[in-house]
Amino acid sequence: MSNRVKALLRKEIMDAVRDKRSLMAGLYYALFTPLLLAIVFSAVINKVTNPEDVEITITNGSDASQLINYLGDRGIFHSDQSSSLKRIELVIGKDFSAQMNRSESAEVTLIADQSEDNLRSAISRIRNALQGYSSEVASLRLLSRGINPEITRPLKVNIEDQSTPDSKGGQLLGMVVLTIMLSVFISGMNLAIDTSAGERERNSLALLLSHPVSVRQLVIAKTLAVASFGVLGLVLVMLVSKIVYPFVPWQEFGFSINISMKFMVVTLLVGSTVAIFAASMQLFVSFMAKSFKEAQTYLTFVIFVPMAMSYAVTLDFAVDELRWAPVSGQLQALIDIAKGKDFLVFQLVVSCLTTLLLSFALLLGMEKLLKSEKIVFGL
Amino acid sequence: MISVTELSKKIGEVQALNNLSFQAEDGQITGLLGPNGAGKTTCLRTIFGLLSPDCGATSINNINVVENPIAAKQELGLFPDPFGIYERLTPREYIQYFAELSGMSTAFAIEATTKVIAELKLADIADRRCKGFSQGQRMKTALAQAIVHRPKNIILDEPTRGLDVMSTRVLRDMLRKLKSQGHCILFSSHVMQEVASLCDQVIVMADGKAVAIGSPKELCALTNKESLEEAFIKLIGTDEGIAA
Repeated sequence: MSNRVKALLRKEIMDAVRDKRSLMAGLYYALFTPLLLAIVFSAVINKVTNPEDVEITITNGSDASQLINYLGDRGIFHSDQSSSLKRIELVIGKDFSAQMNRSESAEVTLIADQSEDNLRSAISRIRNALQGYSSEVASLRLLSRGINPEITRPLKVNIEDQSTPDSKGGQLLGMVVLTIMLSVFISGMNLAIDTSAGERERNSLALLLSHPVSVRQLVIAKTLAVASFGVLGLVLVMLVSKIVYPFVPWQEFGFSINISMKFMVVTLLVGSTVAIFAASMQLFVSFMAKSFKEAQTYLTFVIFVPMAMSYAVTLDFAVDELRWAPVSGQLQALIDIAKGKDFLVFQLVVSCLTTLLLSFALLLGMEKLLKSEKIVFGL
Repeated sequence: MISVTELSKKIGEVQALNNLSFQAEDGQITGLLGPNGAGKTTCLRTIFGLLSPDCGATSINNINVVENPIAAKQELGLFPDPFGIYERLTPREYIQYFAELSGMSTAFAIEATTKVIAELKLADIADRRCKGFSQGQRMKTALAQAIVHRPKNIILDEPTRGLDVMSTRVLRDMLRKLKSQGHCILFSSHVMQEVASLCDQVIVMADGKAVAIGSPKELCALTNKESLEEAFIKLIGTDEGIAA
């Protein structure tokens, strides 16, 4: 590396480290996202594995004590307390016991607003429970008439779960890997804006370009500086993840998320290529902006593209081609590694190379921008 | 030596430079004098290769700026307007940074920085971050940056703008000293006193052209006026945009 590039790089990093507020703003993400995610995961797992009691209004319940007991065994109770009460009403028909005794269809009515999202799971639990009770009573009625209840079940569906503990947590794991990858984009963003649009806003860009430094050296040094912050964020987020995620009670869900050493090393290598891409993209965009604020606005939009690609991969509705594309390709491979599945090394190499190729094109574009009078002086 | 030959440059719809030619010699202070919008800054930016001329050429020590920008810039020091100070760096770091960008090795840059700090009496603020510096302190830092690598040619864009008397004197003394050391100094200004007291050669610019070139005395003689200000007004034919 030439002495000039070294001097440029040293200054960029020194300047950025001293800008405490924007440095922290970049690194807050890396520090706190895994923590927040761990808390959310713990809460979700807790809720799924220990379903809460559902308290509803049951009208006329005294006529159907068996049904009420059956529901109670499944965590569905009548309650008068308004605090925890769900806005669901189960009305037992007036002739319920009489109809039951005559082996007729006894009427129950479930009254609820089905469009309310937060009632949906409670409604389906109640319906399942009612269905269960119904078929249990049906079996008893058949038995009492000397008929094998099996004949009402022509299909016996067996479900064999082939998932391994690690693959079970697929989407959750996808989220974990995604947050790790996104840190590369977020950690260096402030520096990228500061060293491009900010440099122009402070009137130091023209001074810099008046020195015997080639635009290429300038562009390389700035990209390396921003990328190194991306990698710093990546390392931080992985360390925090490694410490925090073991505290989440994954085992209750039947799988575990473990940030292994192998995963960390591969992520660091692969993430470095993404960091270079993120840096060159962010610098390219913010060099086109006239001010710091304008750059922030542009970047918020631009960052959406790799984010959308990443979400597509994480949430599993991505087309296969995205496996070869920059960023999403690496993300897919990292998720596979984290799941303990085999991954295609060739695909990973291709997506890393396309990432670097794209970065290279952006660097050349940036070089062109900085040779333009329009860009440098905003003419 | 800086020479500008038949330089023309259009910016947008405005003919900022119009067939401009002059030469700034070593061991002399040359002033670019002109009203606002005469093309002074455009001219300086073209000398630095930041703007490319539509036609004509600039050269530094006979190195063509367009053909060999890095080598040409190596011979130049720039005192810009505005200064372009990095507020989170100390003057020492700032000066050393630009010394290295001008091609000095780290060891030489450190040595040259120490020397220029002593020369400009910057020692008391050299290791404080530039944030909150007074205009005078910023000026000294910017000047140190311009001369740290001992360029043969030094260009100053409106150097005394916003400076108090003391800072102006520091700057003036430094320019005289550099002149006596044989440097070629070119600065743009629209302040008459400054130009009259400092310059060996004045280039009067208006509408992107050099309307007259000569020493302050020669310009007065040419126009039959007592003061440079009167001579200037006669030369450009209007009194628009002139600071007393």
